[in-house]
Amino acid sequence: MTGFRIVANVTELPTTTFGHRSPMWWGTIGFIVIEGSTLFICAISYFYLRRNFLNWPPEGVFRPALTVATVQAALMVLSNIPMAMVDRAARRLDLRAVRVGMVVCTLLALVMCVLRALEFEALNVRWDSNAYGTVAWAVLTAHATLLLLETLESLVFTALLFSPNLEQRDLAGASDNALYWYFLTLVWIPLYAIVFLSPYVM
Amino acid sequence: MSLTVPAVPHEPGRAPESAAEVVGRLEDTWRARPGLRGWLSSVDHKSIGKRYIITAFVFFLLGGIEAAVMRAQLARPENGLIGPDAYNQIFTMHGTTMMFLFAVPVMDAVGLYLVPLMIGGRNVAFPRLNAYGYWVYLFGGAFLYVMFFLNTGPDTGWFSYVPLAGPEFSPGKRVDVWAQTVTFTEISALVASVELIVTIFKTRAPGMTLNRMPLYVWSMLVQSFMVLFAMPWVASASMFLAMDRLVGTHFFNPAEGGDALLWQHLFWFFGHPEVYIIFVPALGFVSSIVATFTRRPVFGYPAMVLSMVATGFLAFGLWVHHMFVTGIPQLGASFFTAASMMIAIPSGVQIFCWIATIWSGRPRFAVPFLFVLGFVALFLIGGFTGVMIASVPFDTQVHDTFFIVAHFHYVLIGGAVFPLFGAFYYWFPKVTGRMLDERLGRWNFWLFFIGMNVTFFPMHELGLLGMPRRVYTYLPETGWGGLNLLASIGAVTIAVSVVVFLVNVARSLRVGEAAGANPWGADTLEWAATSPPRPYNFAFTPVVESREPMWQHPAELPAVEGLRTDVREVLVTTLLDAEPDSRHRHPEPTIWPLIAAIATAVLFITLIFTPWGAVIGTVLLFLAFVGWAWPRGKDHQEQLMIEAES
Repeated sequence: MTGFRIVANVTELPTTTFGHRSPMWWGTIGFIVIEGSTLFICAISYFYLRRNFLNWPPEGVFRPALTVATVQAALMVLSNIPMAMVDRAARRLDLRAVRVGMVVCTLLALVMCVLRALEFEALNVRWDSNAYGTVAWAVLTAHATLLLLETLESLVFTALLFSPNLEQRDLAGASDNALYWYFLTLVWIPLYAIVFLSPYVM
Repeated sequence: MSLTVPAVPHEPGRAPESAAEVVGRLEDTWRARPGLRGWLSSVDHKSIGKRYIITAFVFFLLGGIEAAVMRAQLARPENGLIGPDAYNQIFTMHGTTMMFLFAVPVMDAVGLYLVPLMIGGRNVAFPRLNAYGYWVYLFGGAFLYVMFFLNTGPDTGWFSYVPLAGPEFSPGKRVDVWAQTVTFTEISALVASVELIVTIFKTRAPGMTLNRMPLYVWSMLVQSFMVLFAMPWVASASMFLAMDRLVGTHFFNPAEGGDALLWQHLFWFFGHPEVYIIFVPALGFVSSIVATFTRRPVFGYPAMVLSMVATGFLAFGLWVHHMFVTGIPQLGASFFTAASMMIAIPSGVQIFCWIATIWSGRPRFAVPFLFVLGFVALFLIGGFTGVMIASVPFDTQVHDTFFIVAHFHYVLIGGAVFPLFGAFYYWFPKVTGRMLDERLGRWNFWLFFIGMNVTFFPMHELGLLGMPRRVYTYLPETGWGGLNLLASIGAVTIAVSVVVFLVNVARSLRVGEAAGANPWGADTLEWAATSPPRPYNFAFTPVVESREPMWQHPAELPAVEGLRTDVREVLVTTLLDAEPDSRHRHPEPTIWPLIAAIATAVLFITLIFTPWGAVIGTVLLFLAFVGWAWPRGKDHQEQLMIEAES
């Protein structure tokens, strides 16, 4: 067996790191790539199936209603402000500010879930009416699944912030959660344009 | 709090004072838990890697048995061994098993076992996720076979084309079983790819810059990125198919504006890279084996790395060559012909680099090296026929004939299974502490090599004679009987060779020659660990100063100390230069990944029967992940830190 000759000591290295220095940040990026691909595939399918129709939406189908969806899109963009504050508070290890910010963001996520349920109504078409309805539902459902999971995760994480078992490295988790939130809310903007706005122009 | 603390240089050259003490504490901290519960809770990449490899090999045997049944049926014209319905299920099971349950998982499995050892780490980056990925894979594979034995095995081919696989032409649950099995295996492959990418990016031994990474680790990095970008396509496609069948969506239903060709695009955008996802890790095996058995670093390291990366990119530009007969525009077809021929270039570069290495070295013709030579020969034949069918007129002629069957078996068996068997012989001593027998190994190799050619070479001719694939029988007047019989004799030979391998493994586990840490005199870090390695892999994290650390320092590796030994802790390094950057807490063994995998299985399996499966499964999965994520709060040192800060 090979022996070892000690040339350095790593005792002084930190145990909590943020951003690209942390393995969890890279893991989050990996899952963003996977989930981003899934949403991209739904969007591609939307345009692929569009070619099979003369009119979009097809005749006899109303265009989607815009009010709820537009409020939702605006809320998603604006929610990045409190989440960015959570991110920065976590990086300076400010537990109080992280707690407050996460409570706010979790409430926002719950509101988004309610709005999402109304957005399905606003599509004005069923998933089994025709391929237009199918693929519009697909885009909305794919994103809704991620939104629901993120909401559940935020709930658990916020509860954890008040747990006596909390450790310093969990604050890095707040920062990674923020990264995922930026992705989830901002990726919705092009998808919103595709599902709700494009039937008015295509 | 300062976040950038460099490693403190220690008195250079000092031997670790209390190495024995450190080892003693590591043994305590990293010890596997006892009993069944301990076994089910393991998060050690080596235990999980071994289970993964053995499970994948069991599926290889099952897929092989299915192949043997097909060859028995086709051995003579108008044979009555099995009927068309059973034949349809069996060829679908064979393809699905070999692609989704054997080839990709086994490549990931070997990677999950070897990569942390090769980069001087203690485990993969997310050990619980790793365990979860394995269980999901196991449940998916078991589910497929249970349904097969209940006569509900899928029967529409491994690529399950619509409209055949749609609700109109395939009522019942067979295709749903296929679609959900695919979803299971995609999840485990995606999990493994994130796992491997982060492990390779962030936990390499200090000094192992990207430029010093072993070629095998490069191959797993490229493969993992390919999985990351390819698998979501088939996962989405199979979900679309399941929804068409379950809740009446119209993705693939032309009557309501859906599109059958959308399925082919989505499937092959995954399906073509899939071939390279299987093949690229095999390139890594070949490079490791060539270096060790010629005792030379592989010639042209930058060219090798760039070729693998190029293969990874080009693999995504070929998918339409599976669709040449679907009536796509001619310009499109020409583009994909060009791309399909272009991918031969990086493969050629690598073959020439290996030849140059062998040429300038003094090769030892041990069994792993024989399998590499077999790979070169067989893969060349598969590559040549690949360039042939990249041409549209030729492909139109042989599409869906046995010529295609011959081509892809040369590519897949020659390009991936031969290097994999080489890898088994090469790393078996590391995993088990014992050598496999050389004499039986030679029998294994030659029977496999001869059997492979006797089975598949005649299929080229059968295809040119017009024999379509996926027919359960044929008439005597076709004149295909002789060549089919020959192919079936070849299949028997392959079966015998696999039996020889199994005998060799069983025998060597009991009475094989003891291996020692580095029996082949190899160059990479896994050979610095004991055989089999301890749960913590290395007592001290090695420091790397060249591409061949074990040849540079065969007796004594430079290393760092200072990681905690009272809790599980690993060293995190920077992405490009692998400088020590932080210490990272590592999870304890836990049962939650298994529970989460059971919840996942409930979700997917109930979803076949009712949309409410989504609700039930999500609730269970949520509970499982709460259990998984909730901190146990064992480490008071960390808790004190946060109290002080807040």
